[in-house]
Formats: sequence, C-alpha cells, structure tokens
Amino acid sequence: MMKEMDYIRPNSIEEAVQILSDPGRRGKLLAGGTDLLVQKRVDPPDYDCFVDISRLSEIQQIRVSDGVFYLGAGVTHAVIAQDPLILKYVSFLAQACLSVGSPQIRNTGTLGGNVANAAACADSLPALVCLDAVAHLRSKRGERQMLVTELVKGPHETALETDELITHFTFLQPPPGVKTHFIKIGRRNAQSISRLSIAAMGRKDKNGNVDFIRICPGAATPRTMRFTEVETYLMGKQACEELYVDAGQRMAARMVEITGVRWSTEYKEVALKAITERVLREVLG
Amino acid sequence: MSDLQYKYIGKPADRVDALEKVTGAAKYVGDYYLPDMLYARALRSELPHARIKHLDTRPALNVPGVIAVITSEDFIDHGRFGFPVKDHFALAFEKVRYVGQAIAAVAAETPEAALNGVKAIICELEPLPGVFDMDHALDPDAPQVGFEREDHKHPNFLDMSPVYKGDPDEVLKDCPVVLHEEYRTVHQEHSYLETEGALAIPTSDGGVTVYCNNQSPFITKGNLVAVLGLDPIKVRVIQPHVGGSFGGKDDLNYLTACQVAALALKAKRPVRMTFSREESMIASYKRDAMHMRITLGADKDGTLRACKAIHTLDSGAYSSQSPFTAWRASIHAMGAYRYDAVKVEVTSVYTNNGFSGAFRGFGNTEACFGIESAIDELAEKLGMDPIDFRLKNCLRVGDVTPHGQKLTESVGLVECLETVRKLSDWDRKRAEYARQTSQDTRCGIGVAVLFHGTSLGAEGVDCATNTIEILPDYSVACASGLTDYGQGPRTVYTLITAEELGISPERVRILLADTDTAIDSGPTVASRSTILAGNAMRVAAQTLARTLNFAAADMLKCEPQRVMRIGEAYVGPNEEPVSWEKVVDHARSMGLVLSAHGKWSAPEIHWDHHKGTGTPYFGYHFAAQVAEVQVDLRIGKTQVLNIWAAHDTGKVIFPQGALGQVYGGITQGLGYALMEEAIYADGYLQSVNFDTYLIPTSMDVPDMTARFVETNFSPGPYGAKNIAEPAMVPTAPAIVNAIYHATGKRIRVLPADLERVALGKSLHKRGSPVSCKVGLKVK
Repeated sequence: MMKEMDYIRPNSIEEAVQILSDPGRRGKLLAGGTDLLVQKRVDPPDYDCFVDISRLSEIQQIRVSDGVFYLGAGVTHAVIAQDPLILKYVSFLAQACLSVGSPQIRNTGTLGGNVANAAACADSLPALVCLDAVAHLRSKRGERQMLVTELVKGPHETALETDELITHFTFLQPPPGVKTHFIKIGRRNAQSISRLSIAAMGRKDKNGNVDFIRICPGAATPRTMRFTEVETYLMGKQACEELYVDAGQRMAARMVEITGVRWSTEYKEVALKAITERVLREVLG
Repeated sequence: MSDLQYKYIGKPADRVDALEKVTGAAKYVGDYYLPDMLYARALRSELPHARIKHLDTRPALNVPGVIAVITSEDFIDHGRFGFPVKDHFALAFEKVRYVGQAIAAVAAETPEAALNGVKAIICELEPLPGVFDMDHALDPDAPQVGFEREDHKHPNFLDMSPVYKGDPDEVLKDCPVVLHEEYRTVHQEHSYLETEGALAIPTSDGGVTVYCNNQSPFITKGNLVAVLGLDPIKVRVIQPHVGGSFGGKDDLNYLTACQVAALALKAKRPVRMTFSREESMIASYKRDAMHMRITLGADKDGTLRACKAIHTLDSGAYSSQSPFTAWRASIHAMGAYRYDAVKVEVTSVYTNNGFSGAFRGFGNTEACFGIESAIDELAEKLGMDPIDFRLKNCLRVGDVTPHGQKLTESVGLVECLETVRKLSDWDRKRAEYARQTSQDTRCGIGVAVLFHGTSLGAEGVDCATNTIEILPDYSVACASGLTDYGQGPRTVYTLITAEELGISPERVRILLADTDTAIDSGPTVASRSTILAGNAMRVAAQTLARTLNFAAADMLKCEPQRVMRIGEAYVGPNEEPVSWEKVVDHARSMGLVLSAHGKWSAPEIHWDHHKGTGTPYFGYHFAAQVAEVQVDLRIGKTQVLNIWAAHDTGKVIFPQGALGQVYGGITQGLGYALMEEAIYADGYLQSVNFDTYLIPTSMDVPDMTARFVETNFSPGPYGAKNIAEPAMVPTAPAIVNAIYHATGKRIRVLPADLERVALGKSLHKRGSPVSCKVGLKVK
C-alpha cells in the first residue's frame, strides 16, 4: 500500500520547530486533530508529515503570575472549561470552550489549534480577542508575538509561517470587578458550528456608569475583532436597558458596514442585536 | 387487560442482539474480509440531468490493481429495475437523472485502485435542462425527466392517488368557518449509522451469494435473478446485522447488490462495495418533499364538515416507492377525523432533485404535518381548545372513515388524547402560557394526533411465513423473511416462541435472514413485522407446541388436554412431571416431526384507485403527542422541553423495544421539525456529511414520557398492532403547534429553524455543486 503520510512525535518545542524547518519535508502540526483530520478527507493535504505536539507538556500549562495569564497552546477545551483560575477571572473563556463540539472533541481539541485553524466561527476567538490576548510564536528563526486579532487575518487565514508554532497565549488578568460573558447561537445544543457569538467584558462604576467595556462578536466578520467604536460609545454612559438596545443596533450596523449585505445578514442583524443586549446585561447589570 | 395470562408477552426482556452489538462482536457488511476479495467503487454522475454521450471503461482496466469494470451493458435489458415502476437501471443507461447516479462500477485489489479506476473511465455527459421545482414539473414546457407515457400524460407525471367522499366544494359553501392554507415539507436524510454495502461471492455453480445490508433480502434476490439472468436456485442473499435503515435500505442497496454481483461474476472473485458517508448521502434516496394545499370547513360549534387536500409529492429522478408513498399520504391526508365530504388528490412527479423513496412514516409523516397544522389553525379560528376540537371530531369505534371503512374495534384515539392531556397538565399550561408577555423567551404547548394504517394496506399481497425447528441441543431455531435491521423483531419473535412453547427465551434463536433458510414474506417495511411475522411465528410455534403436547400426553399417560406446564416441565394427573428435553426426546422416538411452518395472511381488503374509496388498511394505529417548547423569540431558537406520547399500539409484546421506538421516533421527528433539511440546489445536495446535515444530539432531546393505550386488535398477535413508523409521525406538528402557541407565529414550512422562527422565512447560502463533486471522489 502506498504511504499516505509521515508521522513524527517530537519531544520538545525545540525539536518540533527543527522538524518544521526541515526543507526535506512539509510538516503539519497536529494537536487535537479535530479540524485537521476532518479537512484531510476532502482537501488534498499540502503537507506530507504530521508533527504531533499533543503530548508536549511544555505547551500544556495554565498559570497566572504578576497579573499575567499564561495559557499553553496545547491546553484542551475540556481543561480550560474546568480550570479554577479561568473560571475565577475570565469565565467567558471557559464558557466558550465548553460550547465547543462534544465532550470527545473538547477532550482532544486545543486552544492553539482553534486559533491556528482560524475558522471565522471558532468559539474561543471572541473571548481571546476581548482579552487582547497575545500569541507567542516559535520557529527555528526565533520567537515573536502577535495579538490574536492580528494573527487571525480572516477565515482559515493566519499570519503563521509554515515553520512556526504557537507555544502559548498571554493576557492581562482583568481589573478587579470586571465581569465577562459569552453567548453562542447554534442550530443545536451540541456539536454545533456557531451561527453567531459574542464575548464581552464590562464593569460599571459606583454611579452606574460604564467604566470598562470590551465587546467582540464571533462569526460576524471575516476577522474576529473588538468593535471599538461601540466600546467608545458605551464608555462613561449610564448602564441601562436603553443603552443595551442602542448598543445592539450599533453592533449590527457596524457588522453590516464591515461585511456588506450577505445571505445571512438579515438574520445576523436581529440576532446580534439580541445577544449584544443580553451580553451587556450580564457584564454591566 | 391483564398481563397475568402471559409469561413473556409484555414483560421486560433483553434485546436478543444487544450484547453482541454492544461488545462489537456483531458483524456488519463492512466487517467481512475474504481471501482475494476485491473492493468496488462506482462512477457516479456529477450532473443532475444529462445524456451519456460517450462511455469508455477500457482505460480503467489499464489502472494497476483494477480487475473488472461494468456498465449497464453487463446486465439483461440494461439492468432495468424498479417497483412499482420500472424506470431505473442497475447502472445508468442512456441518461442520468440525478447527481450521484451510478454509471459504471470498478472492482480492484484496493479501494485506492478502485477509485483510480473510476477516475480513469472516460464518460462524456451532455447536460440536459433539469426540473428542480415540483410545482413546475408538469408544465407543458418542463424538461422531460421520465419516459414517454403510453397514456400521453406528461412524462414527468408519476401517479395520482385520490380519496373521494361526497362533494366538499358544496359542503364548504355551507361552512361558516373555512380555512385554506398551504404547507411544505422538505427532503430528509435517513441518517442510518451504517452506510450502504454489499459483498458478492461467486459460487462454484456459476451463481452468487450476496451479503447485503438491505431491508428485504428476497427483493434483492428477485432483482439479482432478473438483471443477471441467473437460475433463482443459484442466487442466495444473506442479511448480516444491519446498522439502521428507517426505510432507507431499499432501492439503492438493491442496485448496489446487482453491481457487486455482476462484478464478482466477471472477476470470478468476491467483491465488496461499502459507501463513504458522502457517497451514501449523495447517492441515496431521501424522504420526498411535499407541497400541501389544505381547505377545511367547520360549523360554528366546531363540527368538522369538509376537507380538501391537494398535494404534490417530489419523487425526484425515479419512482422508487413514491406511488405507494403518495397513496399512503392520500389515505391519511385528512387526518383521523369524521367529515361529510372529502377530496384528496396526491400527485407525485419527477424532478432532478436526487430521488425520493421510503422513509419512516411513508407519506404520513409529511401529510400529518399538513393536516395537524391546519386542524390547529382551524381550532383557533373557532376559538376552541386544540384538544377539545380534536376530541369532538376524531374517529371512534363505530365511525365510518372518509374512505368508507367502518371501524369496529381498536380505536384508542380518545384515550390517547385524554392521556396526554392529563400527563402534560395541558389545561393549566395552555392558560398560563397564553398570558405570557415577554418579548424575549416564551413557552408553548401543542398537540398533534395521528392515525396510521397497519402494514402494506391495499398496496399488495400481505402475508408472512415463519419456520421453527427444535435442534439436537434442544434449542429452538426460527426463521422469518421479515428481517431485523435494528427495529427489534427478532426479540418479538423470540418472546412469542417462548410464550407459545412454554420455554425459556434463552433457548430460542432467531436466524439472521437468509433466502436459503427463510421463506419470502414480502418486504420488511410498513411497520408490519410484529403483526404479520408475529402472527406467523405464533402459528408455527403453536403447531409445534401441539406436537410436543401430544408426545407429553403419551409420556404422562393422559389426554393431551390434561397436560399442564410448570416452568418448562410438562405435568399430568398421573405421572411425575417430565422435562422439556425428555418430551422432545420422546417426540423424536415417536417419529414426530419437530419443525413447523406458520403462515398468516392479513384480512382481505380492497381499494378502488379511481373512485378513491374502499378499505385501505385492516387496522390503524392511533396516537396523540403533546410537545412543550421554550422559544427564544429574538434568535429563533426552539428548545423542546417535553414530549408526552400516548400510542394505541394494541397489546405491547416487547415493552423496551416499543419504548425504544417511541423515543427514537420522537427524536427523529424533532429533527424533522427543527433542523433537518436535505437541500437540493439545482439538483446538487448541499449537505453531504453530518458536519452540515444536522440531526438532533442527545443534548437536544427533551424529556419524553410514553404511555401505551393497549386496545385489543383481534387480527394482531395477542392483540398487537404496530409502532415503528407511527412513533415519529405526530412529533413535528406537535412541536410546530407548540411554537405557534409560544410565539403567535405559524410555521407552515419545515424545518422551524432559527431563521424561520425569528424572521418567518428561511435564508440559504447560494447553492454549490462543490460538496457533491468533492464528496463523490473522497477516498
């Protein structure tokens, strides 16, 4: 039988980037494989070797030090969904990871893989983008850092070089009192590709005015990004139902500005208004 | 009804095949590997409608590993195929009518070589304009999909099934309340776990043995005999374990069996073809889509007077079972109600949207959505509670149906309705939910009822024969031509045999279906196994029981009628009890034959296809289901919270099996209601795998409460009726009626997905042929 694919399991990041830079082969990083192995069925692969990093303990840590979160790229959705630090400080990331696929997929799929695959509907992206998360990339040429929102340039398009891997993500622990929330719309309750989602962080001051706000819709725009215009509008305003409704309209308008009118726009407009109101109610209410 | 009279009937039991399936010991077609076995792959059409201009298979034979290639030329009369209409071919001849239709097939040493062989075939297709809208299939200038007809009707016309009683137009003039609405259902994929497959083994006498995961092995055999020109004695079809069907393992599997058998005979080696999920979805037939136009008239007091139901059924490229599906739809189109006048006409037409065939409910699933939605709408117009309105008009014992059939027994609909009303706390919830004002999330509760004719009805000859034999180890082997592809009849036959012979079910073994050991009993369809083969099993077991009783009486020195049973032992008034084994030995020594045939024929019925009257079925299953939903008004998401289901199944023989059917049926009905839609865009199926064709997961399934209303049905074994299909039929209309109760928005087109509930209309991405084209060449 014809050989279909090589498979290598490096023992360190160092070894992994070495293999990726080998001009004699076209390596592809394999972490959970939940996207890769499905795509391989229908898209002829442009690689000839899986580089399996799923067992690299170096990229499987979660820790906080000096107010900075460190999240290994090889951490699975299941681990994030139950991690006490995540649940305590950035629970919306746990919500997002819990909404991924099914228990089997969450047990093997990784955060790094979710970002690197760069689906517009990737469930972890809105929360990571809200957090201004930074992706740390490694190659034989060295290290570099990039904001997740810039790393993921569009649907299935990233700034990653073929010899680069994501080692981890970092982001600042949210300031005290900031609440986070994530909402996803799917066509069913599990194993569902996001039709639309939204992540937000927010806080109001003692007068009830918004003094911290970040908001990022998912599966709404080709590149996942914070709607900073809406954030700016909300800052300093009294948190109330009218404001949430107003914000929902602005979010929908901004989305259409970016994407133009597509087949799904009519639905996404009304749905984005609804989930904007709901997410703001959660983080500012 | 007391259960005390039975030892096994209606009592908890294990499924006879549960353990081997759970442990993975059960073998399916794809698990068979034989020495020298070849792998087959079909070249399938990438165009929805085209003329085959040029087909050259010789290049495939030059591909390393390819051993044999076949086309329609390798079959008698090009493998002309189909029942009731012979409009199909074992491999495409002259034309292709749908995307995924097999044109040629290759057998090779490896699956990869078979695919390379398929790719090497030169096949020039000249595109023809297609028909993609059933409502324009009969337009004078519509492209011609079907053959010319001798009666000069439109070539795209397949059949029309009527039901007529009186003149509804006249009656409607008198009705103060009239409803006229249109409803649409969409194509649904069966989503069986195991995809299609067949393995053919050439035999030394020039014949062929075929393992196929079909529903009805005798139909496979009949087709093989016809298209290969073999002596029937040289053709044997074995059905191994089958991973689900839901009506979906008829025609395509028969075609597949013909293809692998022809390849095996040509290559003189075993050949197996098993489908990828993509190939299965693209090539297989679906539930038909239906466009229903319903007019109902009632008096102000809520008395239903008249019904008109003018439906169109999209049969796709081939007839398959559609004329029968349309007929069943016509019989059930007016619902389980009394009327003064009825006019039903269900017309099936050809298009190039894949092809449609049998699927659980078989026309009634579609028709029930239409009529039960319309009945709900009419109840509202009348200002009546939906259950009260149904109770006022529904069929009862003694009524004459609109077809002209007097119902003399076993009509448990009123009890079903009252049962779900009570279980669901209907009256309180109807009132409470009507007062909701939230613009965000609301609950609703809705009902739908069903009647469903048992077995084939006036579709065909309706009988079954089972066999039984005591083996040397005192076990009992039984065979039936009505097969088990997951529904559970082998367990039903086991319990019946154990009951009648007074032996432990562990002694009983129901053989897997094999045309060499079982007797042709018609197709395994239409929820007919329990009644037809259940009765046949009972007759066979009773015959054998009489023989053993005679032997026991001889041993116990008493009259046969004085013989009693304690456990398996035989007890008489004079002697010590004797064991089952001893009685069997004694019977053998007396020279008695310890095997029997049992045949059972359904009561004779008649249907007049022109007058649209008669006795369509010899009995009916009745049911009511209530659905409770929570609807997110803003984003259009429906969560089904509860389903209460009361089914008049007659006597339940295998309770866990019956409950399994209800739970599974509700789940499949929920998918049909909320998310399932096999979309054809210009003839191209848009979802070719389960990543985009969504069916419910366990997270979508509501709490389900099932009750059986066990009215006695005298023709059924122990009074049993049917359950497999009826379980799913009322679920979708019950859910959609509940959505209306919650939202005030009436969904008249399935599925009630996010967009339809939020916006009142569906939104679809522009269609693309890419998924089909890629899917047909997946490794």
